[in-house]
Amino acid sequence: MAKLILFCLKITTLYLTVNAVFEDQVGKFDWRQQFVGKVRFSHFDSQAQSSKKVLVATENNVFAALNTRTGDLFWRHVDKTGPEGNIDALLHHGQDAVLVVGNGRLLRSWDIGVGGLNWEIVLDFGSFQSACLVGQQDTTKHVAVLKKMVISLHYLSNGHLKWIENLPESETVDYQAVYSGGNGEVYALGLGPHSHMQIVTYSLEDGEIIKQVSVEAPWLSNIQANCVVIGRGMLVCVDSPTLSLYMLDLHEQSQMTQIPLQSLGLEVAPGFHPVLVSTQPNPARQPLSEFFLQVAPEHHVLLQLNNGQLVTLRDFKPATLVAFATTGEKTVAAVMSPKNKTACSLNLFSAETGRRLLDTTLIFNMDPNGGKPEKLYVQAFLKKDDSVGYRVMVQTEDHTLTFIQQPGRVMWTREEALSDVVTMEMVDLPLTGTQAELEGEFGKKADGLMSMVLKRLSSQLILLQAWISHLWKLFYDARKPRSQVKNEVTIENLSRDEFNLQKMMVMVTASGKLFGIDSKTGSILWRHYLDNIPSNAAFKLMVQRTTAHFPHPPQCTLLIKDKDTGLATLHVFNPIFGKKSHVTPPALPQPILQSLMLPLMDQDYAKVLLLVDDQYKVSAFPSTKNVLQQLQEMASSIFFYLVDSSQGRLSGYRLRTDLSTELIWEVVVPPEVQRIVSVNGKRPNEHVHSQGRVMGDRSVLYKYLNPNLLAVVTESTDTHQERSFVGILLIDGVTGRIIHEAVQRRTKGPVHVVHSENWVVYEYWSTKSRRNEFSVIELYEGMELYNSTVFSSLDRPHAPQVLQQSYIFPSSISTMEATLTEKGITSRHLLIGLPSGGILSLPKMFLDPRRPEIVSEQSREENLIPYAPELLIRTEWFINYNQTVSRVRGIYTAPSGLESTCLVVAYGLDIYQTRVYPSKQFDVLKDDYDYMLISSVLLALFFATMISKRLAEVKLLNRAWR
Amino acid sequence: MLQRERIPLLWAFIQALVVVAMCFNDMEPGPGAGGSTQPNGDRFKIEGRAIVPGIKTQDWVSSARILVEGEEYVGFLRTDGSFAVNDVPSGSYVVEVVSPNYRFEPVRVDITSKGKMRARLVNYIKTSEVLRQPYPLQIRASGPHSYFMKRETWGWTDFLMNPMVMMMVLPLLIIVLLPKVVNTNDPEMRKEMEQSMNMLNPNPELPDVSELMTKLFSGSKGSSKAGSSSKGTRPAAKRR
Repeated sequence: MAKLILFCLKITTLYLTVNAVFEDQVGKFDWRQQFVGKVRFSHFDSQAQSSKKVLVATENNVFAALNTRTGDLFWRHVDKTGPEGNIDALLHHGQDAVLVVGNGRLLRSWDIGVGGLNWEIVLDFGSFQSACLVGQQDTTKHVAVLKKMVISLHYLSNGHLKWIENLPESETVDYQAVYSGGNGEVYALGLGPHSHMQIVTYSLEDGEIIKQVSVEAPWLSNIQANCVVIGRGMLVCVDSPTLSLYMLDLHEQSQMTQIPLQSLGLEVAPGFHPVLVSTQPNPARQPLSEFFLQVAPEHHVLLQLNNGQLVTLRDFKPATLVAFATTGEKTVAAVMSPKNKTACSLNLFSAETGRRLLDTTLIFNMDPNGGKPEKLYVQAFLKKDDSVGYRVMVQTEDHTLTFIQQPGRVMWTREEALSDVVTMEMVDLPLTGTQAELEGEFGKKADGLMSMVLKRLSSQLILLQAWISHLWKLFYDARKPRSQVKNEVTIENLSRDEFNLQKMMVMVTASGKLFGIDSKTGSILWRHYLDNIPSNAAFKLMVQRTTAHFPHPPQCTLLIKDKDTGLATLHVFNPIFGKKSHVTPPALPQPILQSLMLPLMDQDYAKVLLLVDDQYKVSAFPSTKNVLQQLQEMASSIFFYLVDSSQGRLSGYRLRTDLSTELIWEVVVPPEVQRIVSVNGKRPNEHVHSQGRVMGDRSVLYKYLNPNLLAVVTESTDTHQERSFVGILLIDGVTGRIIHEAVQRRTKGPVHVVHSENWVVYEYWSTKSRRNEFSVIELYEGMELYNSTVFSSLDRPHAPQVLQQSYIFPSSISTMEATLTEKGITSRHLLIGLPSGGILSLPKMFLDPRRPEIVSEQSREENLIPYAPELLIRTEWFINYNQTVSRVRGIYTAPSGLESTCLVVAYGLDIYQTRVYPSKQFDVLKDDYDYMLISSVLLALFFATMISKRLAEVKLLNRAWR
Repeated sequence: MLQRERIPLLWAFIQALVVVAMCFNDMEPGPGAGGSTQPNGDRFKIEGRAIVPGIKTQDWVSSARILVEGEEYVGFLRTDGSFAVNDVPSGSYVVEVVSPNYRFEPVRVDITSKGKMRARLVNYIKTSEVLRQPYPLQIRASGPHSYFMKRETWGWTDFLMNPMVMMMVLPLLIIVLLPKVVNTNDPEMRKEMEQSMNMLNPNPELPDVSELMTKLFSGSKGSSKAGSSSKGTRPAAKRR
């Protein structure tokens, strides 16, 4: 034990200085953006006039309060992913927000001021249907929850059950909606057999059934979608086949009255399903008797129930979106109508009369690279002169929220599509315009000596001019106070910095919106919304041409594949400006199985993308003559592999000169025993600097650096905790040779793998000891290298030596990635995303299978850390300090121009960008380098020598006189 | 005061009990466990309270969460710092309070199939070891997270206390101060000093380092001359 403590101490002293953030570096080169996801429900906190909160509940199971002035988060609560954290309903009353979560499993009440939980209760099993607030005599004290079989009433203050009742005939009646109009009664509406609508009226006090009515409604299929309650308990339903409205008084009638829409002078657009919108400003009172009827995509009508008669108050055409809002005693309706192609205008109308309110026009400019407006949330407030003012939050198809104030000033926008980043790449920025000009000179064909000289002179002149103007600007800015100097990055002044630390982050989101983000500041420089993206699409982003080939623009290709059909499309664009490229991608009529980027380039320096379809035919993009010729020459050395996880088959293919393929190997993992979870190759842009490791006795242990090595992870199909296991296979992707196989018994996934250099690190859950464990496999050639000049999978007779070691990790992990640097000299770290939101930078040194159990002279010489079973999590190793990243899904690492520096982007619900220095900053002066001290010391020394020289002279002179 | 003293006593008693029993006994209910379990089908509730000493709860609860076994079950903190994670089936779980600013120790909670609960210290190496913790959980923050390294700051004291500097400064002081203390005008003293200086001075016949250098670099032909000349001038200078 004492030994262990001693060892721990040793480690802490050894690595105290390794890799941590200094406090003054906060926000210097890192930034975080927090998101909530696509908004499902939203309510403005209208309790106080000065309230700045808007509550949002999203499809990502997030409940948050946003600041309406800035768009920032006040607080945010991230629940479990999946259906168990799904938010079914959001009800808002005063300081409380009640959420129904997980298909009616939990009922939660939040204090929206603090962001803390008031109470949480568990409801019985049963699928959730509807919920509403129940009030009586102007006070709201209860919430009613309707489930498949039961209806229950809870107190708002503490969540306690007031009463719970079984719904009558719940086996046959499909209850769908619950309603209360503030008169001490709660109505449950359901669809029964024989096309009847069942209306059960409960007493608020004790849950007794007051009345039970069955009304004939053969046309009705979905109450919530087709019906609303207006006025004094009047149920209004719309039926699209008969093009009529049905009305029913919930209190008295037992017969529906049919009102054909034609009698109101309305015509429904063919094929359009009419929609009703009503409003109940206060749950303790009855709803308004005015409501909207949408009869066409761009046609709304405001109707009013007046003495049992429906009256058309106003016809809105064209009008795309409508919404009600209430402030004080006034209820208004906001109507959005298209103005021209790029803008919409919003107007406010009095709900009671349909009259337009003066000075309430608001212009919403649509982003040409965004989606169409989808939803409208209106915040109305009373101005000093008692007129109604308003602000709107517009949600568009690309999940963007835009908050607008009159007369059209955008207060903030939130790109919620970024909460679901699927894949990303970092692209080098182009050189500045002048530098590019200079480079362009070399790109063009030579045309005579004289003109070349002239061109060179002129470009040098341009450079000089740019330099002088830069100096001038520096001088000019230096005189201004620092706060006034604005360094706004725009797409025009983008340029690569000295060390290539600033890059363009190209992010692809699940919604199909692409973003170009400046890595230094996090500002979005371009966005592009791709419509018609299938909902279950898989994305793969590839950089075909970097910015290094100046006259040719950089080029990225996004492969979008429908997971069901396998059909794919290509989107080719410029990653710096986000514009769609002029290059027309080939149409892909066949499902695509595999895509691979070759190191080959066409005459325009674009890398060749190969696509393999389900007929095992290969097509190339770009497919010029030059490319095809190169492909024919190279065909015999192009191999690829396909994975069929349903049949457990891994197969390797070789390209033939006629671009057909031949099967050369096949490995079958029996799918009834285990299934393939993931196949991990190495990153193509990875460099390994040292070929081996120097041992304590000065001999060299050479690494097995097979670039074609694949790490295949399998999990057992048997999930019983005694028999489950995780397997790992190391397969050569060219020959199909199995290099190594390891099985961890009594473990289960999810398995996270990092495969790099000569090592594979993976993490799994040990069911035996109920803990997370890391395992590392390292491959070595031995003391001699077989062929040191080039590695060939086909000519490697000796099997590598395999070393493996496992460790305990005291937390579960979300994702894992390794740092990457320009030349691979810097030591490697593993970046581990934890569920707590931290990103741990764990030195690879700790995951070294050569860590000895007993320390010897040699292991000390080699700087090996003695083996300890448990890896430590030190908060100093968190690269993101308290800037936690929720639900980290991926970590992207990219090398920078500095060997010591690796750029890191962690994405999940949030996005966090930073730099890490795995071996500290050995190639630049530290940012705390004390220039003042060194220059003052130098100056002091200089003066000291001057003075002492003078003094010495005087003394000598004096002595000579003596 | 009395209350406070009683708690550690009780705690010690429980610990002693655990040490004696050493293995989990199903019959023994955890403190307060009996009333809090709410069997709900086969799902149970983990309850407790998190405390950050000296900080108001509303300042930190909105950014904190309860994570049970990674993110398998998630709970939220009430405005008074208490929490309950609902819908947890029987098993053994590590319960953590996760806050970006405060550090809490994780606790392992075991739930039997009957809904009996116990909490114990997390030990990943000896997984069967039981060191009881109170249930319902009482998780106290052990302070703010330390995310940052301290910068090496430069101060005069650090500089002066440096052993190298000390070694340099002390002789300097002696050199400067000694002549002041000792009266150099006294001829006897001077004589004595000179004597001691001569003692200190090594053999004048030995070649100087500078001479060696000049010899080395000034080639072969002039070396002896230069050497002799310098030898000649040096005593002259001394004499003066």
